[in-house]
Amino acid sequence: MEPLLRAINLSKSFGTLSAVQGVSLEVYPGEVVGLAGVSGSGKSALSMVLAGFYAPNEGDIYFEGRRLRCPFRARALGIEVIHQKPDLAEHLDISRNVFLGSEIGWPAPGGWLKIPNRRRMDQEAARILSQLDVPFSSLREKVANLSGEQRQMIAIARAMIRPAKLIIIDDPTLLLGYAYQQKLLALIQTWQQQGTAVIFSSNNLDHLLAVTDRIIILRQGRRVAEHHTDEADREEIVAAMVGTTDRQRLTPIIWALDSYYRAREQAEKLRQSQTLLERDLAAQDALNRQLIDQLAEQINALDSANVALQDAQRRLLTELEQERKHLAREIHDQVIQDLLSVNYQLEEIGAEESVTPALRDELAGIRDSIRVLVDDLRHICGNLRPPTIDSLGLGAALQSYIHDWAKRTGISVTLDLDANLGRLPEAIELSIFRIVQEGLSNVRKHAQATAVQLSLKHTSPRTLMLSIADNGRGLAKDFDLSALSAEGHYGLLGISERVALLGGRLKLQNQADGGLLIQAEIQHPRVAETGGGE
Amino acid sequence: MDDPVVNQPSTEGRPGLLQSLRGLWHLLLGRHELVVFVLLVVIGAFLSLRTDTFLTWNNLSNISRAFSWIAIAAFGESMTIIIGGIDLSVGAVMALAGLITARCLAAELPVSLAIAAGLLTGGLVGWVNGLLVGRVGLPPFIVTLGTMSIARGITFGLTGGWPVRNLPHGFRLLGQHDLALGSVSLPLPFVFMLGLAVLVSLMMDWTVLGNYIYALANSERALLTSGVNVVRIKVLVYTLCGVLTAMGGLLMTARLGVAAPMAAIGYELDIIAAAVIGGTSLFGGEGSVLGVLLGAAVMQMLRNGLVLLGLSAYWQTAVLGTMILAFILLDHWRRQIKWNRY
Repeated sequence: MEPLLRAINLSKSFGTLSAVQGVSLEVYPGEVVGLAGVSGSGKSALSMVLAGFYAPNEGDIYFEGRRLRCPFRARALGIEVIHQKPDLAEHLDISRNVFLGSEIGWPAPGGWLKIPNRRRMDQEAARILSQLDVPFSSLREKVANLSGEQRQMIAIARAMIRPAKLIIIDDPTLLLGYAYQQKLLALIQTWQQQGTAVIFSSNNLDHLLAVTDRIIILRQGRRVAEHHTDEADREEIVAAMVGTTDRQRLTPIIWALDSYYRAREQAEKLRQSQTLLERDLAAQDALNRQLIDQLAEQINALDSANVALQDAQRRLLTELEQERKHLAREIHDQVIQDLLSVNYQLEEIGAEESVTPALRDELAGIRDSIRVLVDDLRHICGNLRPPTIDSLGLGAALQSYIHDWAKRTGISVTLDLDANLGRLPEAIELSIFRIVQEGLSNVRKHAQATAVQLSLKHTSPRTLMLSIADNGRGLAKDFDLSALSAEGHYGLLGISERVALLGGRLKLQNQADGGLLIQAEIQHPRVAETGGGE
Repeated sequence: MDDPVVNQPSTEGRPGLLQSLRGLWHLLLGRHELVVFVLLVVIGAFLSLRTDTFLTWNNLSNISRAFSWIAIAAFGESMTIIIGGIDLSVGAVMALAGLITARCLAAELPVSLAIAAGLLTGGLVGWVNGLLVGRVGLPPFIVTLGTMSIARGITFGLTGGWPVRNLPHGFRLLGQHDLALGSVSLPLPFVFMLGLAVLVSLMMDWTVLGNYIYALANSERALLTSGVNVVRIKVLVYTLCGVLTAMGGLLMTARLGVAAPMAAIGYELDIIAAAVIGGTSLFGGEGSVLGVLLGAAVMQMLRNGLVLLGLSAYWQTAVLGTMILAFILLDHWRRQIKWNRY
């Protein structure tokens, strides 16, 4: 078969440096020929001479039997070149660069005078770039603004615009990341299957072994060996590259080369997985943020529900107090007055002469009963609405209530009132009174205590501390407020609710000697007309 | 075209007027043609106020006639500058082409043939320039300096130093006739110049060739890799420059009615100045036909104005040289701003 490219005895020197010396080679259609060699072995120089970029000092190149001289003619013959560094027209945009030298335009045979069809060029360039996975913001972006990797991929795209017979690739992988390196290797294999010949010069032995059919090894500008890739032995190639057959000296070089490439590849893979990880983390982060947002929303909803609930309860308690006040007034002003007037009528009847002594005694009995009834009613009224609280204030109401309570239950109570208690808003005074009521009733029902200490003191000008301490049996170990409510005991629960509604803090704890200590800290607005205060 | 406003030095703390002025300034610099146009208007306004003779139909007609052949040659010159070269032989080629045509006319050849001979002469000198620069790879400055000397020498040699007179009327019409368009009559050279401006503009801005010409100075290797025959572009550009210059020379000769061996001496300076003032960058890759046209107009108006103001002819070249330097500095400065962006 006729070779596609035949180079005979090529030599090229730059000044006194001879880069290529007497190299001959042949490339057949559909063949991938690798050029291996250490840096400075003349791979690039040979590639450029073969592409026609450097005129050889000696020797000739024939392409399909014709002599090859000028680089611009090479492309017309079907030779594409991918350089180590991309040769792009910096001031032109992406699609113009991809189509540089093969513009689509009108009239089609117009040569240099044809007018480019930008729309079709853009479409085609976009298709090829997406095939190569090259991202771009706009095809009209100047290539001078792009990264080295993007520019190299555009140079590769340019080589794919026209059907080529031979593609000369001069190690462009230096500028490419791992993913694009793999892309290039895949491209080389595609070209090979399409029957395009490839000359692939590379520093990376793994790349060469992966895609080439045979490998030509250069050392100091000379062709020193050639191996068929299928039968190639890595060590032989490296030995030819560095020019020694001494195993002892060779082995470390192979190791070094191997580990160098492996390390580079690993680093590339690492970089890639790091990017992936970062992307994952970013996604996770976004999800978390979303969840947190939702949570915050729910908490807000709960908060407002809670506030509404508290409002409702506050209204309920206020109405309850109003109702009690109303009830107490009704009983006091109506029922008791009526009873007293009945009592008075009975006394009048008893004073009449026609009444027999027996009847008079009976009347006296009824009148006693009525008096007891009135006393009872007065007591109920007192409970419903402490009679003194409106007129004399919380202190007086507490004193009178405790006095009564101690007398009724036989449990001794000591009261320690703040001297400067003054008058507080009605709701607070009533709440504290109710808390004391509940607390004492709790002591009477459950504590089995014999003495209670009650104190109401300012801890700061706007904070009151109410504490109820008894010497009873204290709280059970597994005490739980919600469990109590489930069992129908609302005493302590009621206290805690009232304290919460006032925005205060409640503390329940057993004392050292066993009794229960209830402490409620309640804040209140400063009241101007403090009776006892300064 | 993108304006270089992006690279603003930090102006934090003093925004407002200063910043907007800066933005306007950058916008102006980005549109070079606008700068030249403003300059043209300013010079025109100044001369109209200072002299009685500037704003007369006769004077304006003379200016437009004279700047036409400078502009036509400058179109060619700017192309050589855009590909990163220069052509110093333009003045000599104008004289030589004019002389060759005059000799042909004196030998009683038909006008059309004589014109063709003149244009061919210009094209030939340009072609030689192009071959030596493009194919051999010599520096354009040296090559064109050489051909300038040769062309001028031939002019002197052919005439023995005496001008060729008595050109036929048909030829002189080319330079002296006015084309009546309704109430306005335009000098024929001016009409030619406008036509050529449109043609060159179309070639530079629309065709693939224009694209290559703009890319050549900075990206020659890219063009090579892409299979573009760079040598042929260079030869073509220098040849085109020669032909355009010869056209200018013919119009000049037709206008003056004589082909003098001393004609167009020092015109290279005017022509290069027109290109540079018009925004053609001596670093290559930039320039526009409209800019060059305006640049040539500025040049001619300046020359005319200096005469009208009574300034000695000896001082004129100093003024022109200063103008060239100022615009090269402007170009350099703009380039630095652009570089900072990358």
